[in-house]
Amino acid sequence: MTDQPPADRALESTLAALEPYEVFRQEKDGGPMIHGGNVLAPDPVLAVHYARELFGRRGESTRLWVVRRADVRVLDDPDLLDPPLDRSFKKPGGYVMRDKLAAARGKAGTTKPGARAASHGTTGRRTGGKA
Amino acid sequence: MTLPKAPSAAREAAARLDGPTREALAELLLTMADDEFVGGFMDSEWTGIAPILEEDVAMSSIAQDELGHARALYELLAEVLDDGRDADAIAYDREPDEYRHARLLDRPRGDWADTIARRFLYELADEARLASIGGGFAPLGDLVDKLRREERYHRMHAVAWIERLANGGPIARGHLEAALATAGEAAPTLFTPLDGEAALLRAAILARPLGEAEAAWRADLTRILVPLGLALPPTIEHGPEGRSGHSDAFRWLWGEFTSVRRSEVGATW
Repeated sequence: MTDQPPADRALESTLAALEPYEVFRQEKDGGPMIHGGNVLAPDPVLAVHYARELFGRRGESTRLWVVRRADVRVLDDPDLLDPPLDRSFKKPGGYVMRDKLAAARGKAGTTKPGARAASHGTTGRRTGGKA
Repeated sequence: MTLPKAPSAAREAAARLDGPTREALAELLLTMADDEFVGGFMDSEWTGIAPILEEDVAMSSIAQDELGHARALYELLAEVLDDGRDADAIAYDREPDEYRHARLLDRPRGDWADTIARRFLYELADEARLASIGGGFAPLGDLVDKLRREERYHRMHAVAWIERLANGGPIARGHLEAALATAGEAAPTLFTPLDGEAALLRAAILARPLGEAEAAWRADLTRILVPLGLALPPTIEHGPEGRSGHSDAFRWLWGEFTSVRRSEVGATW
C-alpha cells in the first residue's frame, strides 16, 4: 500500500527514466561544433528529437551532435590542467612568427591561406546527399 | 480595407481551370487546411502541461507547424476562391458547422495516449494524402513538396511515441490500446470521398482516388502496428458525416480559437 496517488508515482518513474544529453551545434558546414546546452530524454532517439526542437527548429544549426552526458569523459583535475610550476615556456607567446611567416611565404610565392576550418576534417562535413 | 491585388501565379492557374474543377480544388484545399488547423489547435492545448518540458516544446512546435501548414493552404485557397476573403477570414469567420475537418480531429485532447494515437493515425493518413497530390495544379504540388519535408519529422515523433507507449509497461500500453480503439473508429473519415473527386482525378490534381490513399495508409499502419501487437482501425462505410456534424469538443475549441478574432471584428492583430 502506498498513499501516493498513481499520477505522482507515474511522474516520479517518468522523471527517474530521464537522462541528460549534451547537445553540440554547428552553425555552418565546416564550422566548429559548439556546446549549445542539454536536454533530458528517456532514450537517444527522443534525445535527438528534443535536441532538434530546442537547438535546430529555427534553422540555426546545420548539424547537431547529441551525446549522453554519462558517455562524456571529463578531465578537470587542476594538477593536470593547471600545473603549479611555471610553464610559460610551453606557450607560444615568446615567438614572433609573423615576419618569419611573411618571409617564408614570399620565398615560396604563396599567399596567406584561407580559413583553416575548410580543410579540417573533424567536424563531420557532409560527404553525400542530405542526411 | 482591401489592397489592390498583385498578380498571382496561383490565381492565374486557378482561373485556367473549369468551374467544377476549381470548385473541387477548393473543397480539397479546405479539407486539408481544416484538418491541419483544427488538429494543430487541439494539440496546442498541451502547451505548458505536456509530460516533460522537452516534450512540451516538441508538441507545441509540431502544433505550430500544423498551423503554419494550415495558413499556407488557406492562403492558396483564398487565391483559388478569389472572393475577397483572405486566409484569416476563411480560417476564423465560419460557423462551427462550416468546418470540413475529419471526425478524427473532432476528438477532445484527452490524455497523452489519446493525443499520440490521434497524431499517429493522422500523420500517416496525411502522408498518404500528400502522396496522392498530382501535378495538375502546380501551386499545390509545389506547396505539398515543402509540407512533406516537414511532415517527415512529425511522423518520426509520432511513431517514436507509439513504440514507447506500446512497450512502456501495462499502464502505458493499456492507455494506448484504449486510445487507438476510440480514435481508430474515427480515423478512416480522413479519407471521406470528396464531391469533386472525379474532376480532381481528371485534372491530375489528385494522382489517385482517396480510396487508394486509404489502402496505402492501412498498409503503412499494418507495418507499424502489427509487430507491436496493436489493432488496426476498423474499416467503415464512408458518408458525408465523416466531415460534418462536429462534436462538442470541437465547438468548445472553435470558441477558443475564434475568441480573439471575434473580440474586435475587423481589427488587425
